[in-house]
Amino acid sequence: MATSRWTGRLLDVCVWGTPVIVAGMFLWLISDLILRGSAAFQPGTESTGASYSLIAVAEQILRFLTAAPERAGRGGGIGPILVSTGMILAVCMSVVVPIGLGTAMFLSELVSDQNRLGRLVRRSLDLLAGVPSIVFGLFGNAVFCQWLGFRYSIVAGGLTLACMVLPLLIRSAEEGFRSVPDSQRHAAAALGFSRWSTVFRVILPQSTPGIVAGLILGLGRALAETAALLFTSGYVDRMPRSFLDSGRSLSIHIYDLSMNVPGGNQNAHASALVLVVLLILINLTAHRLTYRFLHREVRYA
Amino acid sequence: MYSRDGVCSIRLPLLLSLCLAGCGQSGPAPNSNSPDVLVLKQNPVHPQITVTGASTIAPLMNEIAKRFELQHPELRIDVQTGGSSRGVTDSRNGLSDIGMVSRSLKPDESDLQRFPLARDGVCLIVHSDNPVTSLTDEQVVSIYQGKTRNWKDVGGPDQPITVVNKAEGRSTLEVFAGHFKLPTNEIQADVVIGDNEQGVKTVAGNLQSIGYVSIGTAEFNRDAGVPIKLLPLAGIEASVKTVNDGTFPMSRTLHLVTKSKPTGIVHELIEFATSSKVHDLVKELSFVPIE
Repeated sequence: MATSRWTGRLLDVCVWGTPVIVAGMFLWLISDLILRGSAAFQPGTESTGASYSLIAVAEQILRFLTAAPERAGRGGGIGPILVSTGMILAVCMSVVVPIGLGTAMFLSELVSDQNRLGRLVRRSLDLLAGVPSIVFGLFGNAVFCQWLGFRYSIVAGGLTLACMVLPLLIRSAEEGFRSVPDSQRHAAAALGFSRWSTVFRVILPQSTPGIVAGLILGLGRALAETAALLFTSGYVDRMPRSFLDSGRSLSIHIYDLSMNVPGGNQNAHASALVLVVLLILINLTAHRLTYRFLHREVRYA
Repeated sequence: MYSRDGVCSIRLPLLLSLCLAGCGQSGPAPNSNSPDVLVLKQNPVHPQITVTGASTIAPLMNEIAKRFELQHPELRIDVQTGGSSRGVTDSRNGLSDIGMVSRSLKPDESDLQRFPLARDGVCLIVHSDNPVTSLTDEQVVSIYQGKTRNWKDVGGPDQPITVVNKAEGRSTLEVFAGHFKLPTNEIQADVVIGDNEQGVKTVAGNLQSIGYVSIGTAEFNRDAGVPIKLLPLAGIEASVKTVNDGTFPMSRTLHLVTKSKPTGIVHELIEFATSSKVHDLVKELSFVPIE
């Protein structure tokens, strides 16, 4: 009797303890980043005497987010790097979303589980998802940079990321589509919906959480990617003028500052803080959007 | 039952083609940019120089390039990393105009034009609380071969030695192994690291460890209060000064290389990069300018 009570207690502690550990790790990481990174946002020493006013700090943050890097990234800000990162993500997402949703729809709506082509596609996606990013980098360098002649460019980087992110989006979007019960499809068919009306009016809206989850996963992987981009979008920290310019992504900037530049730690932490805040913002926006989609009234087709 | 699969088999060909057409729409996005590629390549108004190679040199070269661009507003210099060997192959096959090589060139690389850019010493580092103040060459070799495994055998406390080594392909490893005539496959490492900063962080965080990094990086970090100690080599102090006067034995020269004798703006850039006009940048990145 006593043992089972103690086992129960122990399990209680474990079940309560594990989430605390998970949350604790996240908070630890964030507070570490804030502590080390925020030094870069402190107003310069020339303004001593005046206490840190919020406006001065905000000004400093704005300057960091817009200024170009100086002294190999130890000074200045990350303006061009943010722009490059945004452009790489834009290229990546504009390729991934249509191809990804198309394939997911194909896999869940058009072919059966036993279909050969479907199985082949699924198998290849699973393999692709497991390929290390450095392999994608070398592939992207060979195909996009050299063979297609994009050289080191944002396009090449975005397309390489697209190859990496596609499996994530497709699998979670497919799960999303599959989670819509068949009875809904039957109901739509009974009401005389066309196949595509069913897809756009019934299935897509209901599977948004899955799609959004896939997009967040994909965006997260794309934002965090370093190895693949080093060989494709490159190292140039100038403000890009077109999609064919080489542009340094935020993660490469952090990597270079912490690894190759002596004394680059403070700005590396500050950049990492920006990266994490970006990820959190993307996450929140995605959740907000999902909520909106789910609670939108379904109008008649 | 209204079977999904039944409907599928009938409409599959039609829908497949629709789906493919839908996918096709995303295709032209990158292709529509391709005319720009041609424009850029043929556009003589914006000459472009590509520099690729050693990640050790890239931050320095990037800064030099920025300063050079100030004098030549129409010029764009793209610096890309990927390692010394990449610098050699890229400049050989024309992917880049200038290669960056952070080691002395190998005999089969004598076809390349070389331009010494700066010097960089590699030194052994231990935690500053480690009482060991010097090691002989034999002791270092023995530690890295895994024959000496405890600090007490080299005059330290009774603690195991954590051997920190660089990843294969890193030029610091080549400098280190070349100096000690130590075949890289004989090194018994506990920790394998990539870059100098990572080496410093690893040793600073482990009382029992020994590693080797660029002297510039080590000196900078030590002066910034990171708890590491630079070990002398063969009685010669490890410092930027001894590298500069050429007495420190374990040092390397950072090179720029080109496939053929540089002309025009590329020649100008190399002249500029090896001149005293960039010595402040060289020093700022913990390297040693060539006087």
